[in-house]
Amino acid sequence: MPEPVIELEGVSLCYRLAKQRIPSFKEYALHWVRGALTYEQLWALRDVTLRVDRGETLGIVGRNGAGKSTLLKVISRVLVPTRGRCLVRGRVAPILELGTGFDYELTGRENVFLNALLLGHSRRSIEERYDAIVDFSGLGDFIRSPVRNYSSGMLARLAFSILTAWTPDVLVLDEFLAVGDVHFLRKCEERLDALKAAGTTMLLVSHMAEAIRTHCRRCVWLDGGRLVADGTPDDVLERYAGANGPPAVTPAPVF
Amino acid sequence: MRDLFLHRDLIWHLVQRDLRVRYRRSTLGLLWTMLQPLLMMLILHVVFSHAFRVELYSYPVYALAGILFWNFFSQSIVASMNSLRGNAAILSKLPVPKAAFPVATVISGVVNLALAMVPLLAILIVTGHPLSWALLFLPVSILLAGLFTLGAGLLLSPLAVFFSDVVELVTVMLTLCMYLTPIFYPMSIVPDQFRWLVRFNPIRSILEVFRDPIYFGKIPPPQHLAVCAVVALVALAIGALAFRRSSDRIPFYI
Repeated sequence: MPEPVIELEGVSLCYRLAKQRIPSFKEYALHWVRGALTYEQLWALRDVTLRVDRGETLGIVGRNGAGKSTLLKVISRVLVPTRGRCLVRGRVAPILELGTGFDYELTGRENVFLNALLLGHSRRSIEERYDAIVDFSGLGDFIRSPVRNYSSGMLARLAFSILTAWTPDVLVLDEFLAVGDVHFLRKCEERLDALKAAGTTMLLVSHMAEAIRTHCRRCVWLDGGRLVADGTPDDVLERYAGANGPPAVTPAPVF
Repeated sequence: MRDLFLHRDLIWHLVQRDLRVRYRRSTLGLLWTMLQPLLMMLILHVVFSHAFRVELYSYPVYALAGILFWNFFSQSIVASMNSLRGNAAILSKLPVPKAAFPVATVISGVVNLALAMVPLLAILIVTGHPLSWALLFLPVSILLAGLFTLGAGLLLSPLAVFFSDVVELVTVMLTLCMYLTPIFYPMSIVPDQFRWLVRFNPIRSILEVFRDPIYFGKIPPPQHLAVCAVVALVALAIGALAFRRSSDRIPFYI
């Protein structure tokens, strides 16, 4: 009996952009008095209905600006939808952008604590897992140097190690598998498989068709904020590639 | 609320980080942070003690208690406004309870105020001010001041995210509030026609519950205490409600 972990019902999200730039309260008051407050509405998500079951791994594709990241933010409970309902059961562990929740002046060690605390873990459970986190990251002695000296690959290693040291109910990875070397990527894949076996639901945004094919058995395509396709990765990726002319699925260069 | 409780280790971590930054310079850190209020006290003493001599004995103690309270209040508010802006990247990308940042800021302010009681005690001894058991009442006063300040911080900090000039605006308002609060002057010098302004200033009731044990060496009378507690809790309730209403919009403005 599949158990829904993520349920979105008619979710729409609107970024209200003021036509005039109103950075200050003074200007806001002035505009308000003149009745000249107009907004441009940008609907990043339009009536998205989606259900993801426990243990499922869902790939998400779409062009830049299609609403992928906004969808992940809604599911991660960072943004509250303008309309509709979003229900997510359990704890969400997101990497929405590399480097979020890191203080670049602190050492890797201090950042393990900061980052995990931000994710809502207790100090004690971080201490219990600290050695395993460092070990998995493969950073060795670098863990004692400030994070500002890290390469993006190293940062990705650390972030992923922290995130997956616990078993989240939902794991959200936005363009994550594009960084890191082959060796680490293999370790990541093993870890992802273990989490899958433990019942973690995963959401994967990637421009690399290969990554979607290896990890997901289901894939959705977002375009203009709408869900335009939902099916097997082969199916959806083919339609997506067809609609975008030459394949827009080349991996972003990583340096 | 429940989210905040779950993130209590995070809040404590933020408090520690705050305190470490403040006292990092040296082991004399505490003295350094006391230097500003002490100098301020000295200046006020030189300028005003003559003017208020009739009304107030040991003016330095009166002024210092006021300054410590005011510094805590105003600095905590400005810092909690900056705490949301300063953690913009986190708030727009991680599902963290947003109130954790202002809450941590005010807690570290409370710790600072508590630490400042040590040098204050030294000043009491040096100036020969009578020490009283009422000083043991101070933790309650500091707690009430903390709740009140937290309310104000929660109310104002989201505004700082929505409008960039609010911090400056609030700084000006705080200066106005300072003059409307008997920080460095006694109530008796306030002209009659303005006295109601000062009397009904809610900050004053918080201040007096803090200053009574230090200056007068007495526990504040029950009716003052009751007013102070109501003021603190109402401020906290307003702040918490306002924060809840606006916190969903915060990531959109960062």
